[in-house]
Amino acid sequence: MMSSLVISLLLPPEQIQGHLSKMLFVHVPSIYLAYVAFGVTLVGSAAYLATKNLKWDRLAGASGEVGVFFTGLAILLGMTWAKPTWGVWWTWDARLVLTAVMFFVYLSYVALRRAIPDRVMRARRAGVFGVLAIVQIPLVHFSVIWWRTLHQPPSLTRPGPIQMDGPYVAALLVAVMAFTLLYVVLINRRIELSKIEAAIEDAFLTTDTAVAGAAVSAPRFDRLEDDDV
Amino acid sequence: MGFWRQARAVARKELIAEIRTGEVLLITAPFGAVVLLLIPLAIGTDRPLLTRIGPGMYWVVVLVFGIMVALRQSAIDGPPQRDLMGLLGLDPAARFVGQAGATFLLLLLFEAILAPVAGALYDPQLSGWAWPALLALLPMFAFGLALLGTLAGWLTVSLTTGRSLVPLMVTPLSVPLLLSATQALEGLRLQASITGWIVLLLTLDLTLALVCVLSARSLEEAAR
Amino acid sequence: MTRPQPVIELHGLGLHIGDTPILRNLNLTVEAGEVIGIHGGNGSGKTTLLRVAATLLGPTEGSGTVLGADLFGDGRFTVRSQIEMIGHAPALYPQLTLEENTAFVATVTGRSQNRVGEALDKVGLGGARHRRVDQCSHGMQRRAEFARVLLTGPDLLLLDEAHAGLDPEAADLVSVITNLTTTRGGAVILVTHDAARAAAIVDRAYETEAGHLRDLGEDR
Repeated sequence: MMSSLVISLLLPPEQIQGHLSKMLFVHVPSIYLAYVAFGVTLVGSAAYLATKNLKWDRLAGASGEVGVFFTGLAILLGMTWAKPTWGVWWTWDARLVLTAVMFFVYLSYVALRRAIPDRVMRARRAGVFGVLAIVQIPLVHFSVIWWRTLHQPPSLTRPGPIQMDGPYVAALLVAVMAFTLLYVVLINRRIELSKIEAAIEDAFLTTDTAVAGAAVSAPRFDRLEDDDV
Repeated sequence: MGFWRQARAVARKELIAEIRTGEVLLITAPFGAVVLLLIPLAIGTDRPLLTRIGPGMYWVVVLVFGIMVALRQSAIDGPPQRDLMGLLGLDPAARFVGQAGATFLLLLLFEAILAPVAGALYDPQLSGWAWPALLALLPMFAFGLALLGTLAGWLTVSLTTGRSLVPLMVTPLSVPLLLSATQALEGLRLQASITGWIVLLLTLDLTLALVCVLSARSLEEAAR
Repeated sequence: MTRPQPVIELHGLGLHIGDTPILRNLNLTVEAGEVIGIHGGNGSGKTTLLRVAATLLGPTEGSGTVLGADLFGDGRFTVRSQIEMIGHAPALYPQLTLEENTAFVATVTGRSQNRVGEALDKVGLGGARHRRVDQCSHGMQRRAEFARVLLTGPDLLLLDEAHAGLDPEAADLVSVITNLTTTRGGAVILVTHDAARAAAIVDRAYETEAGHLRDLGEDR
C-alpha cells in the first residue's frame, strides 16, 4: 500500500512539461476520488437503511471521513494551481463551487456522525442524511452549473485541457489508480478501526460487568453528620 | 382520514405554541431586519449597488434566519413529549407533516415581514413580472426550507450539539433553493425565461417531501 | 373481557446502552387485571424497565412481549396506542392550556372532543381548564395527565412515581385510574418509593436489584 503512494508522488518528476501542470496528477485524482467517496458514502447509507446491517454503515462512515480528506485536498490543490495560473486563489468556476459545497456536505455528515455515540442510532440517522444528500446533490450540481453558464465571465475562461499525449495519459491513469488504491487502503483501515471500536464496546458487556445501578449505594449517614466535609 | 387529522392537530398545536411564545414574530424577524440594515453599513450605501444586491441579500437572510425559525424554541419537543407522541399512536409521518407545515406557515410570515424591509432599504426595482413570480417563489422557497429544517431537526433531536448542527447540515443542501430563487428574480430583470428555475424548485420540493415522509418512521425510531 | 394472554411477558431480558448494562436477565409476567409495584434505589433501572414495557426503549437481549407484540419486532408500534405512561416530567406542552393539551390528545387518538371537558372535570381541573400549563403547579400538571389517561383508557398503564407532589385528594386519583384500568382487563405497573400508598393498591411487588427483579411477594 505504501508503494502505491510512493509511485503517485514519484510520477510528476518524470514529466518534461512545466512543473505546474504536474498538479494535474494530484488534483484530478483527488477530485475523482472525492466524488467516488461521496458515491460510496451514499450507497452505503442506502444499503444500511435497506438491510440494517451495520457493515454498510461502517463503509459509509469510513468513506465520509476519507471523502472529507480528498475533497479538502482537491480544493487546496485547486487553489494552489489557480494562483499562479490565473492570479487568484478562488474563482467562481462551477466545478470549484460544487467541490466546495460537497466539502461542506461531507463535513456536516461527519459532524453528525461524531455527535451520536450510540452506533445503531448513528447508523440510522446518518443513513437518512446520506440518502437525503444523494437526492439533493444532483440538484445542487445542476443548479450550480446552470448558474455559471448564465454568468460565465468571458475574461476568465478556464484554460483548455492540456494537450495530452501518450505519456501524459498513461501517467494520469497511473496516478488515478494509485490514488484509488490509497482510498481503498484508507477506507479499509477506517472500517477496521470501527470494527475494533464496536468489539471493545461489546467486550465490556461480559456477565461480570456490574449493572449501572450497582454504582449507587446507600448514603453514609454516619459520615454526613461530621462537621468537616 | 386519520393521517391528515393528526397532521393538522400537530400543526395547530405548534402554531398556537409559537403565537404564545412570539419568538418568530418578535425576535427572529427583527433580527433578520437588523442584519438587512447592517449590510449596507458594511459594504456601502450607493443606490445602484444596493439595488443590484438587494434581492440576493433578501434571500440569503431568509435562508439563514429561516433555519432559526425551524429551530424555534416552541418547536423543540423534550423527551416526555416525544414519548407521548409515540404512545398516542401518532403516525410519525403525520407528525413530520404537521411540524413541517407549521414551520412552512411561519416561514411565509417571516418572508412577508422581511420583504418590505428589504424593499425599503435596497430599492430593488423589480420588473412587473416579478410580483406574480414572487407569489410562486416565496411559498416554494419556504416549503423546501421548512422540509430541510424539520428533517435536520429530527436527525439531531436529543443531541447536545443538535442546534448548531442543523444550520451546518441545511445550508450546503439549500444551494439549489437559493440559486433558483435568486436566478429567477435576476432572470426576470433581464427578461429571460425563468421556467427552468421554477421547475427546479418544484422538483426540489417534491423530492424533499418524498424523502422526508418515507424516512419519518425510521427517524422516529432512531430518536430513542 | 379478560385477555387470555399475559399483558407483559419478559424472559431473560437485558438492555445495555453503549457498554453499560442497565437491565440484565430480567423476568416478569404481568397478567390481565394485575397491579405490579416496583421498588428500588436510585439508578437501579426502574424507569428504564418502564420504558421497555412501554415499547419506547428496545431491549438488547432476551425475549419479551407486551400486549401480545414482540418487543423485538414491528408489532410493537401497533400496540403503543394501548399503552399509557405517566413519567417524572409531565408530557404536556407548556405554552398550551390544560384544555388544549387534552384536546390535542383527543384529536390525535380519535376520541370525541366532548370527553375533554368531562375528563378535566373528573380530575378536578374543570375550573382551571383555560390556564396555561407553564402557569400550573406540578400537582395540577399531574392531574392533567390523569385526565389524559381517563380519555385514552389504556390496556397497560405505567406510572413512574405517580404520587409525587400530589395532595391527598389527587393521590387518591392514582387508585382510581388504577382500578379503572384493571376492571377493564388491563394491567398497571407502579414504580414508587411510597411504600405505604403502594401497598394499598398493589397485588405483587418487586424490587430492582443488579438489573433484574426480585420478588417481594404478594401484597394483600
